[in-house]
Amino acid sequence: MPKIEVYEDALYKYIGKRVEGDDFVKLLSAAKAEFDGREDDILKIELNDTNRPDLWSTAGIARQLRVYTGGGKNEYSFFSTAEKILDSGGRSITVDPALKDIRPYIAGFAIKGAGIDEASLKDIIQTQEKLCWNYGQKRKAIAMGVYRSDIFKFPVRYTAADPDKEGFVPLGFEKKLTLREILKEHPKGQEYGGIIADFSKYPYITDNDGKTLSLPPVINSNDIGAVLEGDRELFVEMTGTDIYSLLIATAIVACDLSDAGYEILPVKTVYPYDTPLGREITAPFYFQQPVTADISYVNKLLGEKYTPDEAAAFGRKLGCRIEVSGSKLTLYPAVYRNDFLHPVDVIEDIMIGKGLPNFEPVMPDDFTMGKLTPETLFGRRIKNIMVGLGFQEMVYNYLGSGKDYIEKMNIKGTEVVRIANPMSESYEYLRASILPSLLNSEAVSGNAVYPHRIFEAGKTGVRDEDDNYGVATINSLGFLSADKDAGFNLVSSQLSAVMFYISADYVLKESDDPRFISGRCAKVVLGGREIGIMGEISPQVLENWSIQMPCAACEINLDLVMKLSGQK
Amino acid sequence: MNYDIKTLHPLEIRVLLNTGDEDLTSELIMEKLSFKLGQCNQAFSWLAAKSLIEEKEKKKRVIYEMTDTGRDLQKNGTPAERIFALISEKGPMKLTEINDALSLENRDTGTAFGQMSKDGVMALDEEKRACIKGSGISQSMKLVRAVLDKGIREGELEESTLSPDEITAISGISKKRGGGNSPFRVSEREDIVYRITASGKEVKKLLKEQGVTGEEVGSLTPEMLADGSWKNKTFRGYNVNTPPSRVLLGRHSPYAQFLDGVKDKLVSLGFEEFDGPLVETEFWNCDALFMPQFHSARDIHDVYHLADPVKAKSIEQPYLDQVASSHKDGWKTGSRGWGYDFDREFTKRLILRSQGTVLSAKTLTRAKIPGKYFGIVRCFRYDKVDATHLSDFYQTEGIVLGEEVTLKTLLGLLKMFAEEVAGASEVMYVPGYFPFTEPSVEVHIKHPVLGWFELGGAGIFRPEVTEPLGIHVPVLAWGLGIDRMALMSLGLNDLRELFTSDIEHLRLRRRSS
Repeated sequence: MPKIEVYEDALYKYIGKRVEGDDFVKLLSAAKAEFDGREDDILKIELNDTNRPDLWSTAGIARQLRVYTGGGKNEYSFFSTAEKILDSGGRSITVDPALKDIRPYIAGFAIKGAGIDEASLKDIIQTQEKLCWNYGQKRKAIAMGVYRSDIFKFPVRYTAADPDKEGFVPLGFEKKLTLREILKEHPKGQEYGGIIADFSKYPYITDNDGKTLSLPPVINSNDIGAVLEGDRELFVEMTGTDIYSLLIATAIVACDLSDAGYEILPVKTVYPYDTPLGREITAPFYFQQPVTADISYVNKLLGEKYTPDEAAAFGRKLGCRIEVSGSKLTLYPAVYRNDFLHPVDVIEDIMIGKGLPNFEPVMPDDFTMGKLTPETLFGRRIKNIMVGLGFQEMVYNYLGSGKDYIEKMNIKGTEVVRIANPMSESYEYLRASILPSLLNSEAVSGNAVYPHRIFEAGKTGVRDEDDNYGVATINSLGFLSADKDAGFNLVSSQLSAVMFYISADYVLKESDDPRFISGRCAKVVLGGREIGIMGEISPQVLENWSIQMPCAACEINLDLVMKLSGQK
Repeated sequence: MNYDIKTLHPLEIRVLLNTGDEDLTSELIMEKLSFKLGQCNQAFSWLAAKSLIEEKEKKKRVIYEMTDTGRDLQKNGTPAERIFALISEKGPMKLTEINDALSLENRDTGTAFGQMSKDGVMALDEEKRACIKGSGISQSMKLVRAVLDKGIREGELEESTLSPDEITAISGISKKRGGGNSPFRVSEREDIVYRITASGKEVKKLLKEQGVTGEEVGSLTPEMLADGSWKNKTFRGYNVNTPPSRVLLGRHSPYAQFLDGVKDKLVSLGFEEFDGPLVETEFWNCDALFMPQFHSARDIHDVYHLADPVKAKSIEQPYLDQVASSHKDGWKTGSRGWGYDFDREFTKRLILRSQGTVLSAKTLTRAKIPGKYFGIVRCFRYDKVDATHLSDFYQTEGIVLGEEVTLKTLLGLLKMFAEEVAGASEVMYVPGYFPFTEPSVEVHIKHPVLGWFELGGAGIFRPEVTEPLGIHVPVLAWGLGIDRMALMSLGLNDLRELFTSDIEHLRLRRRSS
């Protein structure tokens, strides 16, 4: 969830009034936002809705709060639609056919106004970061560039360039590098280069004279692409893989800059291939479709009895136009929003418009019978027996290291599930057995008064070819005694007690297992199936764990015990 | 006098009761009460520490302790005795002949004969043979024999019990420790002489008044019960304030008990428990919840992928087709969908379950209407482990289905959780965002101890979630964050402690509520 920082004064200027303290915190909930503290005159705000990128800037959040508090809407008259395309005044972008399979879409607009100040520049950079990182999937789906439009000539050319033949001086550098070199040497190239590195040609933006604007989605040029305080004429461009999210992002930035007092000048992109919106798109472009909700559906979900007009009035507080026709409410998304997929999304605006505190909680009155799963009930029986036997119940984490789960256990570990993208070696495997968890307890509890009797009834995940997922999740019981007298006889007595009270007639089958002392290890067999293992832990395993006390342990599959002993 | 006589050990009681104004020594008590020396010393040191007796003086004692050599001489005779007996029997012999006959060293024979001739018991005749001179053995030989015999009887001889002659005799055949072989080893000991103090006398009086003898029975034995001998006995009263010894007991984990308590609470509110596998598919973990496959929260760094196996063999139908269509164009859900081509291979990718909502979605495929379901299930997150983040942890989630459920019943449900599960005094709702619910609500509560915090999130499942899974009524979905309450209940402030491996920590852990 994105977090933004806004200058308090700028925010209140956009809202049109000051809203402070608790009122501000409460008001933020209308934008599904949370106040996250302040640093001097900078407010930190966390935005919860990942589908509302229009809120991720000072102007954006202010726009929502202003409308919600009745401060009126700004008009954005610079949008083209399918029916009415605005004049782009000769500003256009041409697109290379080869980009279709690389990074197919580009949209842009120009702005003109008073010289840009420090706060606005910071806000533009923040908007770019949040939009491209969160909404644009770390620039993969959307990347944005801003340029000084007074020093280049339209039309802008969006091309697929040979990474070894083309080159320019990237932002922050002094020497010219080829596109491929930029990916290797520039910090942004190292961070974002992966998005395009595998293509034989890279996306590349120049002006009509071939002067470089940028290598999207990586880095701008050091001249045209270096925006400074005081610049009055800028060109904003976005490239990406999805035309709709690209146009929404373009719309959001255009509205923000319009709110900041700039004139927005449309730019036309001409594609040599089909897009969902045709071959010529003039941005900013409004493509969103209206969504209609029936008042009966609104009332069903909200538990209210609103008339269509009442509901529409609440919904409009969020800033979208809603028209009523009979029982139907038709919402036309604001130019900067595209989060209405279904009538329920209209209902949310109505709910927020009405204000959540104004809904009265009602107890659900359907009669339903509560119950625990058979596994939980059986697990509780087992746990009670273990406690009666003098055992301390443990609750362990299920992720651990290969060292603990495999190496120290003296096993090959073919049944242990490994994570492909572990955060660290310490949490690289899903445990296939409770025994390593118990032994880890022994390894860290040498100073706890002996005897130790510990157990866990928990889950394990074991490789299983027969399972649809290839991994079976098992409810398992593991218990361990550590003491100078802890031996086979002890663990066998303990197992016998457990099995007696759940009426399971098991037999032991002598077995060899590298985790246990040879000749002092047995498989537990119930109804002809192996359900577990027990014995004296091998001194090699104890040494691996640096445990200096004999241990005897047992682990049984509770799901199988339940099934085979007919327990409910 | 106000003295707790239960703090006195039977040994102390018996010493006190048998002590008057006379000097109190270990010999005295050993003799009177048949104590062993160790018992005496223990009783004295305890009594002295309680100021019931005090040190009067220290007495030095010289002790002669019989050695193996001494026991041998007592049994087989000293060289002098043996020489005297030999000559008495065989007549005069040369000293070298005596050596051979008695297997004596020349030096020992010489010393013994020299002493006897000095005492006038033996002499050398003209042929330089040893012969009897007097009418019997000498006084000093008799004394040596006497102390040897006494030594055998008593083991240790105290100088003060010996006559001056005996002392002369015994000191002649004694050496200090380390001084070589000799019949006796001599050493000095210091004995403390005690006397009873004024408070000692008062306690003694108290003991007498209360009829305490120190002979009371310590433990009741099966034998006493069998033979009825307990009837003649009184039982020693114990000091009830003696610190008890530690018991190691079997115990449930307090965290597991806390979770069980929440489960029981939810069952009592009419919820049926669900559970499921730790390993899940992208399909159930995200796709079925209408999170688009390109969603930023589905990045490689947000969930754990399995290295092997990588993919499930299949995804359940018709859910796969229906979910895929919902993503693409909304299917029959009334939605326009996300507008992209659903990847049917990606959806099979195996991951570790990252949210409990997976199981809420799966439950929809078999749910009764009306129905209430919940689960407290282990989830896995790609997080750096610290005091507030774990790589695996429990989530509490559930659903409520019914023709009549609405936003208002959702708020009622959250209010019920806030009051019944969390014990909240105030509840506040704010709009929230979850990819799979609309509308969405967050519930903040004022907890009596923790103050305001976010208890959980909830909402009404989007039709794009419920319709493809075969549910055509509204479904309330909710999740509760109960970890903070668990920490408070267990008196902890670090989530890692909930899953501790440390046995001692767990043994000592208590629940505050």
